Amino acid sequence: MEAANYQAIYWVILLPLLGALFQTLVGKAMVQRSPGLGKLVSGGVAVGTVLAGFGIGLFHHLRLINDPGSVKAATITYFDWINLAQLHIPVELRFDALSSTMVLVITGIGGLIHIYATRYMAEDKDFTRFFAYLNLFVAMMLILVLGNNLALLFVGWEGVGVCSYLLIGFWHKDLANSRAANKAFITNRIGDVGLALGMFWLVALIGGNREVLGLTDARWLSYDVLIPAASQLLSQFPHETFWISLLLFVGAMGKSAQFPLYVWLPDAMAGPTPVSALIHAATMVTSGVVLLNRVSEIIALSPAAMSIIAGVGAITALLGAIMAWGQTDIKKVLAYSTVSQLGYMFIACGVGVFYAGMFHVVTHAFFKALLFLGSGSVIYAMAHNQDMRNYGGLGKKLKITYVIMGIGYLALAGLPFAFSGFWSKEAILGPAVNDTATLPLVGGLTVGAVAGWVGFLVAFMTAFYMTRMMCLTFGGKTERWREIEPAHHDDHGHDHGHAHGHAHDDDHGHEMDPAFFMTEEEAHAAAGHDDHHHHDLDKTHEPKEVPWLMWAPLIPMAIASFGLIGVWMYGDVWKAPHPHPFEGFLHSAEVVTAKNGKVEGGSALAPRNLEDHGDDHGKEEKKEKGVDTNTLVLVSALTFAGGVGLGLALYGRRLPASEGFDLSKWNPIQKAAGKQLYLDSALSGGSSKGVMGLASAFKVFDKGVIDGLLVEGPPKVVRAVGGLLTTLQSGFVRGYAALMQIGIIALVAYFAYVVSQRGGQ
Amino acid sequence: MTGGMLGFVIVGIIAFISAFFVVKSEDPVRSAIGLVVNFLAIAVAYFMLGAEFLGITQVMVYAGAIMVLFLFVVMILKLGSRDKVVDRAPLQRTAAIMLGIALLAMVMSAVIGADGAVASSVEVGPDFGKPQTIGKVLFTAYVWPFLLASILLLVGVVGSILLAKRKG
Amino acid sequence: MILPIATIVQQVPLGAFLGLGLTLFIMGGVGVLIRRNPVVVFMCIELMLNSVNLILLSFARYLPSGGAGESPMNSAVSGQMMVIFVMAIAAAEVAVGLGIIMAIFRSRNEVDIDDMSLLKS
Repeated sequence: MEAANYQAIYWVILLPLLGALFQTLVGKAMVQRSPGLGKLVSGGVAVGTVLAGFGIGLFHHLRLINDPGSVKAATITYFDWINLAQLHIPVELRFDALSSTMVLVITGIGGLIHIYATRYMAEDKDFTRFFAYLNLFVAMMLILVLGNNLALLFVGWEGVGVCSYLLIGFWHKDLANSRAANKAFITNRIGDVGLALGMFWLVALIGGNREVLGLTDARWLSYDVLIPAASQLLSQFPHETFWISLLLFVGAMGKSAQFPLYVWLPDAMAGPTPVSALIHAATMVTSGVVLLNRVSEIIALSPAAMSIIAGVGAITALLGAIMAWGQTDIKKVLAYSTVSQLGYMFIACGVGVFYAGMFHVVTHAFFKALLFLGSGSVIYAMAHNQDMRNYGGLGKKLKITYVIMGIGYLALAGLPFAFSGFWSKEAILGPAVNDTATLPLVGGLTVGAVAGWVGFLVAFMTAFYMTRMMCLTFGGKTERWREIEPAHHDDHGHDHGHAHGHAHDDDHGHEMDPAFFMTEEEAHAAAGHDDHHHHDLDKTHEPKEVPWLMWAPLIPMAIASFGLIGVWMYGDVWKAPHPHPFEGFLHSAEVVTAKNGKVEGGSALAPRNLEDHGDDHGKEEKKEKGVDTNTLVLVSALTFAGGVGLGLALYGRRLPASEGFDLSKWNPIQKAAGKQLYLDSALSGGSSKGVMGLASAFKVFDKGVIDGLLVEGPPKVVRAVGGLLTTLQSGFVRGYAALMQIGIIALVAYFAYVVSQRGGQ
Repeated sequence: MTGGMLGFVIVGIIAFISAFFVVKSEDPVRSAIGLVVNFLAIAVAYFMLGAEFLGITQVMVYAGAIMVLFLFVVMILKLGSRDKVVDRAPLQRTAAIMLGIALLAMVMSAVIGADGAVASSVEVGPDFGKPQTIGKVLFTAYVWPFLLASILLLVGVVGSILLAKRKG
Repeated sequence: MILPIATIVQQVPLGAFLGLGLTLFIMGGVGVLIRRNPVVVFMCIELMLNSVNLILLSFARYLPSGGAGESPMNSAVSGQMMVIFVMAIAAAEVAVGLGIIMAIFRSRNEVDIDDMSLLKS
């Protein structure tokens, strides 16, 4: 691999960064001068930088694929960052299959979303601020995936966290948005502490054993040195491996919204819809999966950690699917769906098929971004009302959006063969149900296998709640917003986003913990009435198809959501299920072969694909015969058909009365699901109480020990001693002389003592 | 008692008594006279040690110049009167004498404890203490300290003029 | 000078000179502590300096070392050098000190060490 061939990859990062600078330094002034032209230029620059990055990324990606070298990974060093005798951290990028895939996803989907956003945000007065944040986010995300060492990864990790915070709270005059942003940021900090601790531990362990490993390269925080060293060293430290893996996973949990740290993601929908699509569906939330892929060879050494990852993934997938069922806000449905799909990715990592996790990241990025943007179009068409109970029959009004979202829906629900979602889901669940490497749980099944079967259940529920969403939005004949009376403008801004005249009690109540920084009254008092929405949804509203700038960018995503490409690209799955083509792409050929060779050696890295059990190692397969591929496809098809059928039966014609605005008629399970099974309030309430208790304990400590003893203590001592000493400062000169004399005597006595001790030598 | 020892004892007694006068006498003029005698006695001791140049310098600088300075100040300031004011620190006197005795006991025990017969086993050259020797060394090896000392004296002169000058 | 110098040195031990010097030093010190007339205090300080000079010279005479003759390393020479510098510094000190006393006297019209208590806290 000639690193020089990939030298120019840094432009991918630099261009969005310059774009962000342009927005803040030039764009704002331009928009103030002439709004029309200014927005055109700054929007064009924002889109251009990202799309140019996509072009550069694609160019390098093709070069990587066609590279004759056997190891398809290039390390490009630019300059020194931290250079110590024992530790050298340069700013260097790693361009391999993993990072190039992510670069394409980020810049490709990011570019399309930027195009969409130029229209979606066109009337916002903070147009340039939005694109500055968005461009900065793209740059930070690229640093995260391209950086060749954990330090750079951490830079990107925190950078995307901050951009996410800024964008969730983009409309910060509404206090609910600010709170959502704070919640996301603080929840992410919990994960980041885990990540930082895991990194420190890893660094300490490797750094402390450099002699043992014979590491001569001071660059040992870089992946190309760190990962081989770690996998060599950590097999001797099973205990440390477990905790390091777990801590790294905690970091991934925070960013990727895994149970119990998922609570921020639904609230993050407070941000503009393009943000939800880009950050909270396609890219940032998948960075946990990217991290686990990067350190997969470390994590794979600890079956216990792998089991926990798979278990948490399964719980997250299940909870997300349940909660999505109870939502009435179209974006929230998609948000919980994202949580659920992220759970799938972690199941994949937990059972050792990291590549399948990445595969799902890629496919999910396309169809979920598509769904979010589509929902944004619906919301745009419906005067920024997000409540599905006010929709209905929109299929006839928004035909293009309907078709495009339909494709995304089928992909997410997993229509067999035709759509990408099916393929990536299969790639995860197939190895999962046959998993043997994680710890055993019940009935001879391992945690991974149980997670796999839970995954099928979730697939069924996914098909069901997505059908519900599509039916409530586009299906039926009743145009339910016709029932809304026109609003009086005196309470305008008080509850935008809600249907006037209808229940106001179901959304913000559970969305935010009232103890979160402000009381509800303060929140209402502080909420700005400077509203960005122009009019409210009422019966006079006539939904229109959105402008072409808002549906055209969705078409490439829709095309990418088709699995036909997958059939063409990954058609070999049926003939020789492993190596999975995506795995073959993601890892170099030797790695795949090497891993597959030691499949029964207990390495969790080995893909437990079906044929393994039957052919090569048949005699070792005593316990069970793996579930074979055809059965799995059948189960998948059944779950899809069952979910869609049930959804159509329940919601195909109309909104059931039991899910209307009157919450008392809701059935208790779904009501609980809508309120996140009360987990959020329990978690944030419990944690805020705990934190409050901890804080008051710290306050006592702070007041007593820190302030009283450490801060005010020394001055007090000094003052007391000084007061004592001032009595000596009598101004009595002969007294001073006498003190001096005493000192002289003491000195002489001391010297006499020393001389006598030396024995007169 | 040898002649040398006898001479030393006489010089020592004179030095001791004159020093006692300096400390004890309540009249500054008497103290000054005691000091002159003491300086002269020490000059004799210098001669006994063979340091002719330093002995002469002692007589000229201390017994001459500095003592004149002291006496001038005593006369100008009319400090001739006794210490009339009541001592505000009566313990100071006793304490000081006690401290002095303690220190003396300590150092004298060290001196007596050391070998009493440290006579000049090593003989110095015949030019020890000769002005030629002093001058040669002072203006060659010690020329920088010498220059520094000169500057110090100059500063002292300027400073004392400045201090003593009447303001206005 | 009845006796040759070498004879005197051979007849008197080093300890005698040291004892004399130390006694004078401590008498000067006690004087500094008990006298209230600053001029007399100065005289006592001179007494102390002289006694130190005597001790330095005694060592130079009795314990010459570090080679012969005019070498600055020879303590027979360096001891005398030190005496000269002490004399110079003492002269400067006396000049400045007496100047200070005169300045104080001029502003207060009387001089008692115990009255000079501006340093009191």
